Amino acid sequence: MAVNRDKVKIHVSHLKKNFGKLEVLKDISTDIYEGEVVVIIGPSGSGKSTFLRCLNQLEEITDGQALIDGVDITDKHVNINHVRENIGMVFQHFNLFANMNVLRNLTLAPVDLKKATKEEARTQAMEMLAKVGMQDKAEAYPSQLSGGQKQRVAIARALCMHPDIMLFDEPTSALDPEMVGEVLQVMKNLAAEGMTMVIVTHEIGFAREVSDRVLFMDGGYIVEEGTPQEVILNPKEPRTIDFLNKVL
Amino acid sequence: MVRIVTVYGRLLLEAMGQTLILALSGLFFACILGLIFGLMSVVRNKVCNVIAVIFVDAIRSVPMIVLAYFIYFGVPAAINNMPGMSFTLSALQAGTVALALNCGAYMAEIIRAGIQSVDRGQMEAARSLGLPYWRAMQRVVLPQAIRTMIPSIVNQFIITLKDTSILSVIGFPELVNTAKNVVASTFRAFEVWGLVAVMYIIVILTLSRCAKILERRLNRGR
Repeated sequence: MAVNRDKVKIHVSHLKKNFGKLEVLKDISTDIYEGEVVVIIGPSGSGKSTFLRCLNQLEEITDGQALIDGVDITDKHVNINHVRENIGMVFQHFNLFANMNVLRNLTLAPVDLKKATKEEARTQAMEMLAKVGMQDKAEAYPSQLSGGQKQRVAIARALCMHPDIMLFDEPTSALDPEMVGEVLQVMKNLAAEGMTMVIVTHEIGFAREVSDRVLFMDGGYIVEEGTPQEVILNPKEPRTIDFLNKVL
Repeated sequence: MVRIVTVYGRLLLEAMGQTLILALSGLFFACILGLIFGLMSVVRNKVCNVIAVIFVDAIRSVPMIVLAYFIYFGVPAAINNMPGMSFTLSALQAGTVALALNCGAYMAEIIRAGIQSVDRGQMEAARSLGLPYWRAMQRVVLPQAIRTMIPSIVNQFIITLKDTSILSVIGFPELVNTAKNVVASTFRAFEVWGLVAVMYIIVILTLSRCAKILERRLNRGR
């Protein structure tokens, strides 16, 4: 896959995150390149979701730096809403807007933020729905969809803002097993198109197949990182070995 | 009975009209106050949160009759004691303020609870797309919150409508005050108070039926 090593999309240095007295992220530093697909694995409570949520400031960063396309999102003068327009996020529990049908879910942000006219947004939404195989359900409400369908719509919704980074927070963890495949397939297609992706997941097989790099997190640190070959097949750190023995 | 209706019916109907005017003006401002303080209690700002809590706690702890006396007699008295100041409130104005404050505090709680009942993920998803906080609130969170708030709001409206009767103590010519006068001149307490009760029942049942229809309409498509 085409990773552009000349262009750093996400630069994180000495990032810390506390919830009150609890230190969830202790010292995280890494660079993520354009077109790179990074998968974050690790035991629950290791801080992987928190780390992901820090990247679009859904969690306020306590200390350290995070640059998105060179823009320091910890800087109080930076308009975080503008930064977020370029970072799509997909949640474990889908979080489709329950009061709107699928089409409106997709067109809300582009129209409200004046990225597109109603007509353009609609056309584009239908294209995105086709891309995730959901064009038949444009008029349906979220409550009428299965988990896998909801998640595919959620991905399409994020794509409608034309982000150049996509964050996935355990996108398949809330799905029935038979629906995991359809969502992973959409993500694979996205990776093949060269999208920069950061994915928190428990799907080790998917990580091996799709990712350029795997980060193993534990106790608020990145304990080990490298290609899936290195981290998943030949882990060096005892904690990584221990974790993989439990999940594989 | 028939004589009461024919002779005093019109008077009592007019009084019911006054009751409704008072209730509606009180409710109107109560909704505004409730929205302001309800939102102040959910935003991530300690100062706003504390102000909202103080407002709600203070108002809820004061009986409405005390609030009415305080606003109608107390506040103008205090202002008139200042040199060169002259200030009076009509019973309608004072009554509206008392109702608005009282009902507003409960509305604030209903609105806070309604907003908090909407899953946090809804706000997060909207924010993750780049929508500013208030835009997300307006487009995504509030429409869902209102759905859950409607039964409580209707309940509060009914309580406030009935609470207008307390404002008979400051001399506003609403239904109870008028009925008192009618009883005083006719000595027909049973008929008059019975009639007044029936009038309240009719108005409030109409209100709650309309609310049911509205609720059903809002829940369509879910």
